[in-house]
Amino acid sequence: MKSRFLVAIIAFVAVSAVWGSTRLGALAPSDFPFYTWTACAIEDFLSNEQGRPQIDLVGSSLMLAPIGGVDADFTNAAVDAPHHHRSLYFENAFKKRTGESVKTFNFALPGEMPSDAYLMTKFLMKGEKRPDVIVYGVGPRDFLDNLLPSPSATDPYAWLSRFGDVNDRISLISPDWQQRMNYEMGRLIYPYGQKVDLTNSFGRVVASTLNKLVPPTNGGSPMSVRRVILPEYRNFEVANNECLFTPTTDANRPAFSDNIAEYKKRYKHMKWDTYLTQMRFMIDILNIARERKTHMVIVAMPITPINRSLLSDLAWDTYKHSIKVIALAKGATFIDMEGSGKFGLKDFSDTVHLHSGGGAKLLDILAEKLSADRAVMTALNQPAKIDDKSTTVAGLKGSLQ
Amino acid sequence: MLFNSLQYLVFLPTVFLLFWLLPHRARVPLLLVASYVFYMTWRPIYGLLILGLTVANWLLVNRIEKSVDKKKVWVGVTVAVNLITLAVFKYLNFGLDTIKDGLALAGVNWHEPHLHILLPLGISFFVFEFIHYAVEVYRGKPVVKSLIDFGLFASFFPTQIAGPIKRYQDFIPQLSIPAKFKWEYVDDGMQMILMGLGKKVLIADNLAMVVQAGFSHPENFSSLDLWLITYAFAFQIFFDFSGYTDIARGSAMLFGYKVPINFNLPYLAANVSEFWHRWHISLSTWLRDYLYIPMGGSRGGKWLNYKNLFLTMALGGLWHGAAMHYLAWGAYQGALLILHKEYSKGLEKVGVASKLLSSKLYHIASIVVTFHIVCLGWVLFRADDLNIAGKIMLKLAEAPQALAHFSSSQLAVLQIRDPIIFPSLVLIVPALMISHVVVNWLNDKKFYQSPPWAMQVAVMVILMCVLTIFSPDSSPKFIYFQF
Repeated sequence: MKSRFLVAIIAFVAVSAVWGSTRLGALAPSDFPFYTWTACAIEDFLSNEQGRPQIDLVGSSLMLAPIGGVDADFTNAAVDAPHHHRSLYFENAFKKRTGESVKTFNFALPGEMPSDAYLMTKFLMKGEKRPDVIVYGVGPRDFLDNLLPSPSATDPYAWLSRFGDVNDRISLISPDWQQRMNYEMGRLIYPYGQKVDLTNSFGRVVASTLNKLVPPTNGGSPMSVRRVILPEYRNFEVANNECLFTPTTDANRPAFSDNIAEYKKRYKHMKWDTYLTQMRFMIDILNIARERKTHMVIVAMPITPINRSLLSDLAWDTYKHSIKVIALAKGATFIDMEGSGKFGLKDFSDTVHLHSGGGAKLLDILAEKLSADRAVMTALNQPAKIDDKSTTVAGLKGSLQ
Repeated sequence: MLFNSLQYLVFLPTVFLLFWLLPHRARVPLLLVASYVFYMTWRPIYGLLILGLTVANWLLVNRIEKSVDKKKVWVGVTVAVNLITLAVFKYLNFGLDTIKDGLALAGVNWHEPHLHILLPLGISFFVFEFIHYAVEVYRGKPVVKSLIDFGLFASFFPTQIAGPIKRYQDFIPQLSIPAKFKWEYVDDGMQMILMGLGKKVLIADNLAMVVQAGFSHPENFSSLDLWLITYAFAFQIFFDFSGYTDIARGSAMLFGYKVPINFNLPYLAANVSEFWHRWHISLSTWLRDYLYIPMGGSRGGKWLNYKNLFLTMALGGLWHGAAMHYLAWGAYQGALLILHKEYSKGLEKVGVASKLLSSKLYHIASIVVTFHIVCLGWVLFRADDLNIAGKIMLKLAEAPQALAHFSSSQLAVLQIRDPIIFPSLVLIVPALMISHVVVNWLNDKKFYQSPPWAMQVAVMVILMCVLTIFSPDSSPKFIYFQF
C-alpha cells in the first residue's frame, strides 16, 4: 500500500466494525450518566414499582407546573418536582366522580415538544407499560417555538432516542445537513455512534480509579458549587430536592411573573417548517396510540390573552384549528380548555403557566370531562357517567361547522 | 468555518479532490474561491473587507515598487490603510472606553457612542501579512505579479483565521510549481491534522473547563488550586493554538504547500528570550522585523534598545486584544526581556563560573523558573480584566505559606469529582510537562525524521478512534480565533 493514511483508514474501519459487533462499552438505554428531568421521568416510568399506569399525562411545563403545584397543595407537603410523576389530585378528583381508582403517570417535561412526546409514546408506552389513555396537553409554543433549532436539540430527545430507532423520522428530526451527516456517521462508525456511552464508560473507570487512589473528603464538593463555577456544564442536570413545588394558598401564592419577553423571542419569526414538523409528530402520536388501542385526549391548554396576542391571527387560528381537526380525524377526544372561558389571569403564575389554584381548576374540569367521555371510559373499562357531546366526534363536528 | 466542524470535514476533502483533479493553472483560482467560501460561511459581507484590502494593498504596493522618489510616502500610506482598518474594527470601542475612563478621572462625565462593530475573523493576521508585504517591497524585494496569487496569499484558508503569519517570499513561489500528487502530502498532512485535532479536542477543550471555572470564580479555589489552574491554562493555550497550527499546516500540506511553524516546545525555554523564539514564532519574528527593527532595534544604546523592546512587546500584547490586560501582559513580557538582558549582563560582570551556568542543574532550574514566570504572565492574559488578574496574583503569592502546611484537603480540585478533569489535573499537568521533555528527547534522537511506518499507522488509528469517541458535539472555538 502506498499510503500510511489509507492503511490507517482501512484499519480504523476494521476496528470500528469489530468493535461494533462486540458492542463493547455500550450502556443500557436507561443507564443514565446523570439525571435530568427526562432521565428521572424515564427511570420512574420503567421502574417496576410504578406498575402499569392507566392514564399517562403528557405535555410541556404547561402541564407539569399545575400538576406538581396542585399535588403540593393537595398533600400539604413539598413535592420534589423531577421525581413526582403522578397526579394525586386528579386521581382523587376522578375517583370522586366515578368511584373508581385510576393510576396516572405524569410524563410532562419542561420544554417537551410533540417530537419528544412521539418518542415517549413510540418507545416507552407499549407492552406492559401501555396506558389505556394518554392525555396530551398542548400549547402554541409546542408547535411554534422558533428558538428550537431542531427536534433533536431537546433534553428529552437526547435520552428518549436511546430507546429505539429514529431512522424512519430522521428527515424531520435532523433536517439540517450537518445534523443528518452526524446521525449517518453515528450509524456507520460504531465508536462515533456510541460516543456518549463510551465516554461515560471511560469516565466511570477513571472516576472509580481516582476515588480509590484519592478519596474525596466529606463526600466531595456538592453540586451547588459546580453550578456556580461551571454554570454551562450539564445544564439540564437536576439534583434531588433542587426543584420543589411547595404548598401554597391564595394568600401566600407568589406574585404574577411577567415572562412575556421570553415568548416574544420564541414567537419573533414564525418558522412554519417547525410548525409542520411538530404537527406531523402529533399525528404520529395519534396513529401509534390508535394502533395500540390507547385512547388519546388532546387538551388545548389555557394561556393568557397577553401571551396569545404575541401570535398573529394566522398563526393562532392555524394552531387552534389544526389540533382540533387532527384530534377529530384520528378519533381522539378534544378538550378546549383555552376556549372554555373558565380561566382568567388570576389563575396564572405567568403568561402561560397556571398556578396551583388554576391547576386544581384544570384537573377538576379534566376529571369531569374524562369521566363523562364514553371513549375514555371504555378505554379504562369503566362506564361513562355522563355523555358530554362537546368532546365527542359528533360534538366536535358541530363545533367546526 | 471551524477546523473542528463537520462543515470542514466536507469542505477540505472536496477542495482537495478538485485541486488534484484540475490542471495546474486552475488550482490557484480554485483555492482562492475556496478560501473566500471558507471565510464567507461566517459572515458573507466580510468577504468584501478581505477582498477590498487585498485589491487596495496590491495596487498600493505596486505604486511603492514603481515610485522612484516617493517610496516612503507610499509605504506609509499602505501601512496606514492597514492599521486604520485594524484600528476601526478592533480598537475603536476600546479607544472610546479609554477616553471615557480618562475623562471620568478628570471628573468629566462623557457618554461615549458605543459602536456595534463585529471583529472580522483573522483581521489581525492578514493585516500583518499585508504590512509585511508592503515593507518587503519597499526594502527592494519583488512585487507579486498576479493579483490572484496575491489574493490567495492573503486569504489562503488554512492560515486565514489565526496564522501562522506567512512570508510572501516563501509562499508565492510554491504557487507556481506544477506539483504532482504525492501520497506523502496526504500522509503528512493528515497526520498533522489528526495530531492537531487531538491536541484541541482531547487536551485543550478539557483543560478549558477547569480554567474557565478557576478564572471566573477564583474565590472558590485555594492558592495551590490556582497554581494548578494557571498551569492548566498554560497547557490549554499551547495545545489549543499549536493544535490549530498543526491543522493549518496539515491542511496546507494536502495541497503540497508548506507554511511556517509556530511552536517549538516553548515550555522548555530556559529564559524569556528563548521562550519568544519558541512561542508563536511567526508573530515574534514579525514583531522583530516590522516593529522592533524599524523602531531602531538594538541600535542607539541600552535605554533606546530597552524602550524599543518594551514598546514592541506592549504593542504585541495589545495586538492580541483591545483590553488593558492584554496590554499589561505585553508590557510584562517586555519588562521580562529587559530584566533578562540585565540579568545576563550581571552574570557576565560578576563572573559567575561558566561551569555552573552550563550545568544541567542550572539549565533545569532555569526552565522551571522561566515556566513559572511565563505562567504568571498567562494570568494577565487569561483573566477577564486586571482586577481579577490582581486577585488571582495575590492568591498565588500565598503559595509558599500553603505549601508549608500542605494537605490534600487544600485542593478544591480534588473535591470536585464531576467533571473528572478537576481531580485529574494533579496527574495531567505533570504528564503534559513530561510530554514536552519526551518530545524533546525524541527530537534529539531524530525520531520524527523517520518514525517506524507501523507506528505512524497505529498512532493515526488510535487518534481516529479517540477523536470519534471524545469529539464533543460542539467544541469551543480556538482561542486565537478571537484575535
